[in-house]
Amino acid sequence: MMNYLWAGMLIIGIIFSALNHNLSEFTDSLMASCTEAVQFMIGLAGIMAVWSGIMEIASRSGLINKLSELVMPFMRFLFPREHDKNTIALILMSFTANLFGAGNSATVFSLKAMERMDLQNGHSEIASNTMCMFTAVSMSMIQLVPVTILKIRGDLGAANPGSIIIPSILAGLISMAVSIAICKFFEWKEPHL
Amino acid sequence: MSSILSEISNLFIPIILIGVIFYGIYKKAPVYDYFTAGAKDGLKTCIEMIPFIIAIFVGIEAVTVSGAMDFFQKLLGPFLEFIGLPRELTSIILLRPVSGSGSIVLAERLMRECGVDSLVGTSAGVMVGSCETVFYVLALYYGVTSVKKLRHALPSGIIGYIAGVLASVYLSYIMLIS
Repeated sequence: MMNYLWAGMLIIGIIFSALNHNLSEFTDSLMASCTEAVQFMIGLAGIMAVWSGIMEIASRSGLINKLSELVMPFMRFLFPREHDKNTIALILMSFTANLFGAGNSATVFSLKAMERMDLQNGHSEIASNTMCMFTAVSMSMIQLVPVTILKIRGDLGAANPGSIIIPSILAGLISMAVSIAICKFFEWKEPHL
Repeated sequence: MSSILSEISNLFIPIILIGVIFYGIYKKAPVYDYFTAGAKDGLKTCIEMIPFIIAIFVGIEAVTVSGAMDFFQKLLGPFLEFIGLPRELTSIILLRPVSGSGSIVLAERLMRECGVDSLVGTSAGVMVGSCETVFYVLALYYGVTSVKKLRHALPSGIIGYIAGVLASVYLSYIMLIS
């Protein structure tokens, strides 16, 4: 699916920029985005290293085991087939980092969690139920304080910049409930995956 | 309310750092050695991910810069109006799933042009605060795995996103009339 999705994006892009006569601009932006991607990863590398280091301490000192046992009952509902404590801890960290608006840190935890799930899935080409549920919840995760938006609203002179916090959280929860329900439906149809 | 919440957000990372390090020292673990070993591992993961990230960035750039996005916006606008959503929101509804930073810039523009306390401006803010960058997340997360068949990861994300968009506009509307 990734193959078609990616190829489709590029083909659509090339066709449209040819129709709009901006192929040279298109090429420039494409090349610039490669550099941007590497810069993004280099920017992420430091955070990745720090969190990996901290997680290593937490893992080897036994803190992750303790924490995972604590949240296991909640995670059971979402991930009934996930038993690995380190994965559960990474999932938990990813969700909490997202919740507190630490976007880059959340990305790092998520990617490490996905790597572990892939390993447990035997590097299969078919996504496991755990992976699908994890991405579904990540894609609808709420953020307690949408800092950037609050700042923009404040700068533009909104009557009450913070008034969007509650609607944002509610909308996020609705979206999350829908995503989880869809995942649960597919899990019920194919529980073995 | 919002200042208490943002205070909690600011404390999130320091609290975790202190918690982990104190627990490690309490357990007499060689925290420095563990940290460096883990950091080395993290850097390796980072390098391994670069090719996937490049692919995603290039793909997203191709769709947004070519004008394909504008075309889809024109196509979707009347439909949105038909189901009762403001037409102005078309661009951000389409851009949000692929680009986090792009949609924030767009939200800022919508708030400025349509009024920060208008339905469009408020909805744009709520949307960015509650709806995630669905396609970006999917591409990035599955990029580091061997998965080719996403199964229900795609529909759950897209339908959840649509639910989020509808809820954002509806809740903004309720907030503004109350």
